[in-house]
Amino acid sequence: MILGLVQILLWQGVGELLSHFLLPMIPGPVFGLVLLLVFLFIQGEVPESMALVSNAFSQHLGLLFIPAATGVVLFLPQLQAHAMAVIVALLVSVLLTVAVTALVLRVLSASQSDEP
Amino acid sequence: MHAVHPIPIREIWVYLSGSPLLALILTLTAYQIGVMVYTRSERNPLANPVAIAVLLVAVSLQVLGMPYAKYFEGAQFVHFLLGTATVSLAIPIYRGFGGLKGRVFPLLLALCCGGLTSIVSAVGLARWLGADATIVGAMVSKSVTAPIAMGVAERLGYSPTLTAVFAVLTGILGAILARYVLDGMGMKSWWQRGFAIGVAAHGLGTSRAFSVHPEAGMYASLAMGLHGILGAVAIPLLAAYIPVS
Repeated sequence: MILGLVQILLWQGVGELLSHFLLPMIPGPVFGLVLLLVFLFIQGEVPESMALVSNAFSQHLGLLFIPAATGVVLFLPQLQAHAMAVIVALLVSVLLTVAVTALVLRVLSASQSDEP
Repeated sequence: MHAVHPIPIREIWVYLSGSPLLALILTLTAYQIGVMVYTRSERNPLANPVAIAVLLVAVSLQVLGMPYAKYFEGAQFVHFLLGTATVSLAIPIYRGFGGLKGRVFPLLLALCCGGLTSIVSAVGLARWLGADATIVGAMVSKSVTAPIAMGVAERLGYSPTLTAVFAVLTGILGAILARYVLDGMGMKSWWQRGFAIGVAAHGLGTSRAFSVHPEAGMYASLAMGLHGILGAVAIPLLAAYIPVS
């Protein structure tokens, strides 16, 4: 597991460097993610120790948001003042997104399976 | 005879609140309670462990009189791992790539349409209903998985905190409501249902999809991963054209 963690941290480090010196608009960890993805394709498999780390992270990803999300206390007055706008925007947006994505998939895969 | 010394609560408190220990214990305990409630409720999306934990931590800070900045000083060690967790998303994406076979075009086009819909509808509605620029800005990347959304928001000068909150709320809403939309549309295939949930409601939607059907889960996690990468690249490019105020 430690070996996997070290590898992931190294990719994160390379990603941070790329972000810092090359393309500051894209967060370092995203570069790290893409590089690791390329690395996995070259390897052709996920090393066991890396799989352990990734499982642990994806199982408890929510834990990692808590410190930042608790910052919501600082925005409470603002959120209260615009509660209606926030709720409507979030609700309608997620419903529309599900609907549009599903619709595009259905239309495109229906036209595809019609072909022989 | 010994005089009974009162326990020096004040000193203990000063000592504890000066170290990251208190913030870390608070964060982990709150999360553990959140997870327990979530499991007890048979994984009802309304009992979201992160939402419960945030509520518990916020109330505790209020009770303890601890300012948020002080809490974050200690909790930043947990926060730091978000970046590492983002990198490790490469592994589920890699595993899901098999699902792209023969479906690359519909999946990518659906992803782009879904991603654009989420931005345009959220930003448009929030602005139309009179929300201020801070709130509208935090809407821009809320459909992207939270660790990436926060990174993107930070670079664009929008609030990462509000973005994380909106992302989590989006995940909760999507996990609860997506099935009604999909049922209403008569969507039958699991891969299409899963992918739609993953695009709209990232991590929480994905875990919901996994609990319904493994194929739905696999496509949801593929959607979440691809949306994360696409969002990180495309949102900064589009940002100039997204009016937030």
